[in-house]
Amino acid sequence: MAAVLAIDNLRKSFSPGFIPRRKEILKGVSLEVEPGEIFGYLGPNGAGKTTTLKCLLGLIFPDSGSLTLFGRPHLSLSARERLGYLPESPYFYDHLTAMEFLDFYARLFGLKKTERRKRIAGLLERVGLADAGRIPLRKFSRGMLQRAGLAQALVNDPDLLILDEPLGGLDPIGRKELRDIILEQKRRGKTVFLCSHILQDIEMICDRVAILVAGRIMSSGRLRDLVSEKIKFTEIEISGLKREELAGLGESLAGQEGRILLKVVGEDKVDDVLSLVLSRKGRVHSLLPRSLTLEDLFLDTVKSS
Amino acid sequence: MSRIGVIALNTFREAVRDRILYLLLFFAGATILLSRLLSLLTVGDRLKIIMDVGLAALSFFGALMAILIGTSLVHKEIDKKTIYTLLSKPLRRIEFLLGKFLGLVVTLLVMLSLMTLFFQAYLLLLGGGINGRVFLAALYIFLEMVLLTAVAILFSTFSTPILASLFSLSFFLIGHFSRGLLTLIRKIPAGFSRTGLRVLYLLLPDLENFNLKTEAVHGLSIPAKWLLTSAAYGLFYALLILTLAVIIFRRRDFT
Amino acid sequence: MTGREALGRRAGGLLLGLLLLASAGGVVALKLRSEEIVRRELPGSSLRFLPSGRTLKAVSFGYSSLLADIIYIWAIQYYSDPSIGDRFSRLDHIFGVISDLDPKYSEPYLIGALIAAYEARDPGLALKVLDRAMDKNPDDWIYPFEAGHYAQMMMKDYRLAQDYYRRAMELPGAPDIARRLYANALFRSEDLDSAWKTWLEVYTTATDDRIRKIASNHLYQVKASLDTRLINEAVARFRDRFGRPPLSLEQLVSSGLLKSLPRDLDDTPYVYDPETGETTTALIPWKR
Repeated sequence: MAAVLAIDNLRKSFSPGFIPRRKEILKGVSLEVEPGEIFGYLGPNGAGKTTTLKCLLGLIFPDSGSLTLFGRPHLSLSARERLGYLPESPYFYDHLTAMEFLDFYARLFGLKKTERRKRIAGLLERVGLADAGRIPLRKFSRGMLQRAGLAQALVNDPDLLILDEPLGGLDPIGRKELRDIILEQKRRGKTVFLCSHILQDIEMICDRVAILVAGRIMSSGRLRDLVSEKIKFTEIEISGLKREELAGLGESLAGQEGRILLKVVGEDKVDDVLSLVLSRKGRVHSLLPRSLTLEDLFLDTVKSS
Repeated sequence: MSRIGVIALNTFREAVRDRILYLLLFFAGATILLSRLLSLLTVGDRLKIIMDVGLAALSFFGALMAILIGTSLVHKEIDKKTIYTLLSKPLRRIEFLLGKFLGLVVTLLVMLSLMTLFFQAYLLLLGGGINGRVFLAALYIFLEMVLLTAVAILFSTFSTPILASLFSLSFFLIGHFSRGLLTLIRKIPAGFSRTGLRVLYLLLPDLENFNLKTEAVHGLSIPAKWLLTSAAYGLFYALLILTLAVIIFRRRDFT
Repeated sequence: MTGREALGRRAGGLLLGLLLLASAGGVVALKLRSEEIVRRELPGSSLRFLPSGRTLKAVSFGYSSLLADIIYIWAIQYYSDPSIGDRFSRLDHIFGVISDLDPKYSEPYLIGALIAAYEARDPGLALKVLDRAMDKNPDDWIYPFEAGHYAQMMMKDYRLAQDYYRRAMELPGAPDIARRLYANALFRSEDLDSAWKTWLEVYTTATDDRIRKIASNHLYQVKASLDTRLINEAVARFRDRFGRPPLSLEQLVSSGLLKSLPRDLDDTPYVYDPETGETTTALIPWKR
């Protein structure tokens, strides 16, 4: 199946103000998003994530490289018919009510009146704004605006949903609800492209990720492949032994109330620790194998670039 | 409804809420009412002063409305980033710009109509009767406002609202004094600079084309040829400005 | 961008470029068209609204003399435009405004009177302007001096001329010729030769450039009047002889009606309009 989104060697530089010196933001970005997957686009602030999105949406024009949506040129109207976009900290027309606001966008897609009404009611329900339909947007809280923005992104039931830092302003409940919506999209066979730096959520829902650092893709692939199931180290919380006795077996971090938290690398060392504790008649309070997390991968990738 | 229409409707609803319009409307109305006081200072034809002041108010405040609303509205979209979600929809940039223009024009039409009706009602009250020429003059003031709106939009595509307002105001002033360039051209001997100035003169806007105030006040006949030529001039010039605006807007990066 | 997309964009750009050129062409064409259409002029309508001097002074925020300068400069351009048919109807008002804004500004009084006298051919109006000047500047001899000239030479009102000359000669700094002119006014003087002589005296005895310039302008006017009278007589004789007016002034010489073509004081030839048969000066006298 053709890729939903394909970026090939995208380059973009800016010349700030009248200074002729150009600053290269994107230095040849390439990636592909397969249909029906949730793709995570990660990177530290200033890496160029939003710039990539803006190129994709036709807000800025790349210097070179190609972008295709559903196999078509990214600027074509037919491609954009199937797209939904939620920008970071969205602003909307203050004076409109939520329903008027959604109606406006729905009209742009050429939806007929009855269809619009039905769809808007459904959307408001879906994002949790069913009671706020007639309230003007300027009275919305940050979280409500975010939901309204999501509704707007879904108004055309997009095959590709692009979200730029959507989880930022939400409380834990809101974040869960958003994750649910994203997963629901996937269940319905839709694709989601997610830009974020809240790694826990990415880890929870994304199928594939790409990490962008300073305008270049440093790492990309299936999440499960990148973040191996290999155990990195084990955290053991014990008591009844003195620190000096544990030296050489692992890195000890202070614990509470006479307990010692030990960071042990390697299966055999773990066995050593356990047998030591047993022989000294100490106690093991907890044993936690820690595998490589996305956060670790992220920090390593950024550090190595 | 076409996409341009959707944008236009939304723009209209947003523009109509702008308090500046009503402030200017108030001042225009106040000026018209106060013209009566001014007329009391003259001997003879009082109605002439009231007509003069009234039409001048329509023209002046109409121009201000066109410039201020035009510059602020486009800038607001870009500044508040509502344009991001908008351009990600299946909407061509040219459709966006034309929709904005249309919405603004309809807004100004409503405002000018209100002012004209108020003015005509006042004239009626003072015994002036219904004057068809007033409506004709107002129609051409509207044409001028349409052109000014296009200019305001053009300057908004690449500069801040204050600069755009200043540029638009300059356009307005140049437009009304461009005929003065003719006297200068006549004095310069034929040659390169003279032809250069002549070319400049032909391209500079001539807003006096839309000035029917004198004819309205003195009840002069207006040749149909004049009306047609002026209207066509206005439309072509607006087309020129809008094309330029679209060309600039198309290539703009929204960082 | 794919090739097809780039092509599409380029085609759109080309279309816009063509539209730009086409609309610019339309604008220029319509502009040229509109220049041909003449709009009816109403007396005084070309200057619809110039507020009174007092009003302007009130709103000029202390820049009244600058405003006087600006209005004066504008007035000069305004009066040099022969296409404005009704420009003299508001002369008194305009120069009155300048006077209100800056009563001591002498040039506008003198030039205003000159325009009124020679262009509008209304010496009464010229005197009105100068009367206002005398009113605001009672100790300046130049205003009654000039007024005397207009009264004597254009209106042939010798009583009025006497009064003006007498007033002038009694003011501090008045030239000796004022006395002579006063005396002269007591006698009748009919012809332009006397006017020429008088102005020549003023010119040669002038103590500063301003007077010299004014006298020179008057001399120019007198010579122009003398010369055009000569030319017009010759044109009439030509018409009688050949049944039509001459096509150029040279024809008057070649047909023997004139010995030579007179030229104005600056040695510039006069301008002849074969359609109307009228002769005028090549330039406006008080703008020399």
